[in-house]
Amino acid sequence: MTFEGKYYNGQSSKGMPAHITLLPDGLRIDYSADEVLGSVYWELGGLHRSEFNDATTLLRYGKFPQQSISVVDKGFKEALQQQYHGAAFLKSGYNSVLGLGCAGIAVLALSLLGLLVAFVVWGVPALADRVAMYFPQSYERQLGEQLYTKMLQGYQVNDEKTAALNAYLSELDTDLDYPITAAVVTSDEVNAFAIPGGYVVVYEGILDKMEQHEELAALMGHELAHIQNRHSLRAMTRSLSYYMLASLLFGDISGVAAVLVDNASALRNLEYSRSLELEADREGLELLRRNELNEQGAILLMERLQSGSELEMMAFMSTHPNTGDRIKVLNELIGGGEQPSKKNPELERHWEQLKED
Amino acid sequence: MTTTLLEKEKQITHFSFTGKGSEYFAIEIVNIVLTVLTLGLYYPWAKAKSLQYLYRKTELAGTPFIFHGTGKEMFVGFIKGVVILASLYAFMLYAVFTENIGMMLLAYAVFLLGLLALVPLALHGMMRYRMSRTSWRGIHMGYRGKLSDMYSTYLIGFFLTILTLGIYGSWFVVNLRKQMIDNVRFGNVRLRYTGDGADLLLIHFKGFFFSIFTVGIYFFWYTKNLLHFYVNNIVVLQEDGTYSRLQCQVSGWEVLKLTVGNILIVVFTLGLGVPFTTTRTMSLIMNNTVMSGQFDADALVQTEEAYNSATYESMTDMMDIGVI
Repeated sequence: MTFEGKYYNGQSSKGMPAHITLLPDGLRIDYSADEVLGSVYWELGGLHRSEFNDATTLLRYGKFPQQSISVVDKGFKEALQQQYHGAAFLKSGYNSVLGLGCAGIAVLALSLLGLLVAFVVWGVPALADRVAMYFPQSYERQLGEQLYTKMLQGYQVNDEKTAALNAYLSELDTDLDYPITAAVVTSDEVNAFAIPGGYVVVYEGILDKMEQHEELAALMGHELAHIQNRHSLRAMTRSLSYYMLASLLFGDISGVAAVLVDNASALRNLEYSRSLELEADREGLELLRRNELNEQGAILLMERLQSGSELEMMAFMSTHPNTGDRIKVLNELIGGGEQPSKKNPELERHWEQLKED
Repeated sequence: MTTTLLEKEKQITHFSFTGKGSEYFAIEIVNIVLTVLTLGLYYPWAKAKSLQYLYRKTELAGTPFIFHGTGKEMFVGFIKGVVILASLYAFMLYAVFTENIGMMLLAYAVFLLGLLALVPLALHGMMRYRMSRTSWRGIHMGYRGKLSDMYSTYLIGFFLTILTLGIYGSWFVVNLRKQMIDNVRFGNVRLRYTGDGADLLLIHFKGFFFSIFTVGIYFFWYTKNLLHFYVNNIVVLQEDGTYSRLQCQVSGWEVLKLTVGNILIVVFTLGLGVPFTTTRTMSLIMNNTVMSGQFDADALVQTEEAYNSATYESMTDMMDIGVI
């Protein structure tokens, strides 16, 4: 079979009219250039892979400078496929995908999208949790200390209340892997948060709201559970991994460094996932139980926070969603039966000190 | 494609882009899947494949360009780039974690100086690599620039730009383009960049103020002006002294339609539609660009030697330097 095309010899850009003949082991190209006739033979093995052809088929041959032919004839493409089926220069995974047609490509794209979503929804948090759990404790403590000092710089620490809070905490049986350092800061904001490595910051605003020390114990139980289970580290690695994923996708690596530098402020506005919050609630309740305190303290705390004016509640509630749901879950956990609860004079003494103005 | 030489005065040679969004999309989907599955190691091969497609679909006088680069070649540059950048970032992160101000400043200085030293190297490497791997009708392009010239152009421009609070930036960009384009060979044909820094500065000034006055609408015309400045100042010189000019005829209105369309595509496909924006952009620019003058498509002669240089292709990519 013979086809008409153009032959380029690799030395000049002049296309020479050529007849291309498909032979069993190669192609013969007979060209004419300015009355001079010539002929070359291309062995199949020397042909370069030919992909993405359209109406024009382009074939290249040999070492630098490559010779090439271009044939504008749909029949040529088909003839090549027939004659040299399976030859290396015709093999292309990409061309086979292109051959799938629009429907096939769409299916491929949608399944990719599905995979991507699944990875983002389940894969990333799982991986991030892994990383957070393997983070060495001493290093976590060091990181926490830095964040803690940095964060306290923006506030006035109430020394007396801080001492009372720490005394209160040391009286509690907390079963924690970390030594606890707590601070009470002067602010009307109703807020409290945990910092990795065993640091807790409590705002005076939230203390003023409370009436019973069991509420404080519940709050502490909640915050300490965040610490014990490395929730902030987990949330941090999660958001960091999302950030890294995004910057990988959009090719902006410098952003990751910015997140790390900015982590102190990020921590304050960190949102734990719903499941982490519920886990902290459950373990906070556990703490009340262990200390034989009235478990209703946890419910009281929730209701107290819920009943405040909208504006006041913003800070704490915005990072702790679904208060109603949480009360329901807590009630289920406490169950109908009254648990034994005792008065704890030591804790109450520290509580009194905390409440003094 | 034969060219008639009868009309010696002015002759138009067309560029065109025949790629289809759906095809490029399919290629990129395969690329993404393989890159993810190989934890990123496939990236250079993916890059090679998409360049091969885009080149193959870009035509001059009806003949496509060919990209000869391979994933294997680019993998070397990719690894070099990853190692260098990763160590710079690692040092930076380490310094951030120490919380030591002196250390952080040092790390920042090392980082900036490192980037400053890498950019000319990356640009030079990219030009050499890209040009040597590009051919049209079997004739290879080539880059003859010297690395030392690239360094002096870049560093002098960089510091003058800082000293003049950015004013010199326009001349800096023009000089950099001159350094890159004037050293390109296309067989026996040479390129020249004839843009002038003052013109670029004027475009920026106009672009800045008019964009403000028109609540951003002028931005598209500003982009069009930049495109014209970059493309229309490229002159193609043949050995016999004849020359032709590139002419981009894209209008501001077309830039607006392109940009708005691209944004909508990206948003509504959650980013998956990016390949469509690439082919749209390529189509608009290529199908509206011509070479006008006495370009003789049949008269190019091979002047390059066989290539085997090391590569920095992927480094420019990682450093996010958009060139051409």
